[in-house]
Amino acid sequence: MSLTLTLRKPPPARVLAAPLDPDGLRGLDAGAVGALELRCGGEAVPVGDLFEVSGSAAEDGTLVLIGDLRRFDGVGAGMASGTLVVHGNVGSWAGAEMSGGVLQIFGDAGARLGAAYPGARAGMTGGEIVVSGDAGEEAGAGMRRGLVALGGRAGAGAGLRILAGTVIALGGIGEEAGLGNKRGSLVSGRPVEPLPAYAFAARLQPPALRMQLLRLRALGLTVDERFLRGVWARWSGDRTELTRGELLLFDGENGSR
Amino acid sequence: MTGYRLGDAEVVDTFAEAFPMRYSRVVITAATEAWALEAARSMTGFATSIIGCKCEAGIEMEVRGEDTPDGRPGIAVLLFAMDREGVGKRILERVGQTVMTCPTTACFDGLPGAERSVPLGRSLRYFGDGFQASKVIAGERFWRIPVMEGEFLVCESVGVGRGVGGGNLVIGARDEATALAAAMAAADAMRGEGIALPFPGGIVRSGSKVGALSSKSLPASTNHQMAPTLRVQVKDSLVPDGVAALFEIVIDGVSEDAVREAMRRGLHAAAGAGAKHVTAANFGGKLGEFHFPLSELRDPP
Repeated sequence: MSLTLTLRKPPPARVLAAPLDPDGLRGLDAGAVGALELRCGGEAVPVGDLFEVSGSAAEDGTLVLIGDLRRFDGVGAGMASGTLVVHGNVGSWAGAEMSGGVLQIFGDAGARLGAAYPGARAGMTGGEIVVSGDAGEEAGAGMRRGLVALGGRAGAGAGLRILAGTVIALGGIGEEAGLGNKRGSLVSGRPVEPLPAYAFAARLQPPALRMQLLRLRALGLTVDERFLRGVWARWSGDRTELTRGELLLFDGENGSR
Repeated sequence: MTGYRLGDAEVVDTFAEAFPMRYSRVVITAATEAWALEAARSMTGFATSIIGCKCEAGIEMEVRGEDTPDGRPGIAVLLFAMDREGVGKRILERVGQTVMTCPTTACFDGLPGAERSVPLGRSLRYFGDGFQASKVIAGERFWRIPVMEGEFLVCESVGVGRGVGGGNLVIGARDEATALAAAMAAADAMRGEGIALPFPGGIVRSGSKVGALSSKSLPASTNHQMAPTLRVQVKDSLVPDGVAALFEIVIDGVSEDAVREAMRRGLHAAAGAGAKHVTAANFGGKLGEFHFPLSELRDPP
C-alpha cells in the first residue's frame, strides 16, 4: 500500500504542504512521516496531528493524500519525481515550480496552480499536473515546460507570461488567458474571447494535442471522445512577444481523423 | 546432398547464411490505415538489398489505433543497415522524403527504451525553418513541424537494435505459376512481428551470387546455379530435374530466433502449396555469423 495520509480534520490555519514530497518521503516509515512538521499558520505542527498516516513510502514513489485540503497550499510544489495523488481539493500554489513527476488531483485546485513564485524567472520546468475539477486564477503562470491539465475550468489569467509548456482546460479557459505568452500552448475545450494580442491562424486537428489528450486519459482524466475527433482553432500570440505561442480553442466535431 | 521430404517437397540438406545487422522500427500513423500504408510502402520502396540500396526495409505489421501513440491506425516498418550510422542516415532520409511528405501522417519510435538510438525529429526539425516547436509528452520529446497541411509530428529519436539480415529460402516447383504460388504462401506465413521481407511482395526472382564469372568489377551477378535455363549449360547447376522455376525469399529479423521461426513457417507453407524443391543460399559458411540449417526446421511451427 502506498504511503497514505488521511486528513483528520480541517486545520485551524493555512498549512504549507510543500514538504509532503513523494520523493523526499521515500524510504520513511509511517512513524517518521508522522513526526515531520508542517507550518500551520505561525506554528510547526506534526504531520501525525493533521493526518492519519498509513502504508509505507515504498520504492514506487507514490504518496496519496485524502481529504479536503483547500487550506493546504503548495501541495506538490517543487516536486522533481514520483507521483502524488490527492483525493480532494487543494489550496493555492499546488505544483508550483515542479520540475518532474506527476501530481494528480481528484478535486479542485486553488490559484497559481503550477505557477512561478513571485520574482522567479520560471514556474514549472517539467512534470505533469492533472486536476479533475477546476483551478483558480493564473494556472501555469510563468511555466517553462511541462503540462497542466484540468477536466474543468481554469480561472482568469491562465498561462500568464508562460514561456513554454502546455495548459489544458477541457471545461474552458478563463478570460485574459496567455497574456505575455512566448512559446506556450493554451488549450480550451470551450469557446473563449482571445486577448487582442492573439490572431486567428487556422483550424486544424493538432496531432500533438491528440497525444496529450490520450496521455491525460492514461493519467485518469475523463477526456470526451469529441475532443479527440474534433477540430481546434489555433490563435497565435502573444503578438507583443514572439507570436510563437498558441491558443487552441475547441471548434467542433467535424474532423475526420 | 541428402535431405528430407516434406509432403511433395524435397528439402535440401543445406543452410541459410545470415549476417548481423542493426535495425530500427518506426510506427507510421495516419488519418486512415490506407494513408499509413501508402507512407509505409513509399518508405520501404527501393530497400531490397543492402548492396544496391544501402538498406533493407519492409512492412512489419499493422498496428491497431488503440496501440499507437496517437490513437490512429498505424503501420510498423523495420529498416536494416550494417551499422547504427547507416540506420540513422537511411531512417532520416526516408522518413523525411516519404513519411513527412505523405498526407496526415505522424512518425513514432517503435523501439522505445532501446539502449542505442539515432536522431530523427532532432534532425528533421530543421525543415521547420525555425518555426518548429517541441512537446514533451509522457517524458518523450516530439517535434511539431509546420507543413502545408497543418503539422507533421515526429519523435525526437528512434531506438536501434541488433538484428539478423539475410535469412532465406529458395523455393522451386514444376512450373512458374506453382513455384510463385508456393513462394507467396511462404511469404504470407513468414510475415509478422519482428520480420521484414524486403523484396517486392517478399519474393525475389533474381537471386544473386557474390562477384561474377565474367568480370572482376561486378559486386554481384545472377545466381547461375539456380537459373533453370542454364541447367545444362553450366556444370555446377543446382536445379534438379522437374523444377522449372525458383523464387527466393530473403528474411531480415529482429533476432536469430525470429528469422529461424519465420523460415520454419515459410518452409512448411511452401511445402503445402505445391513446392517440389526447397533449398537455401549461403556462402559456404565463411561469411555469415548466423547459420540456419533446413534440417532444424523439419518440425512444423
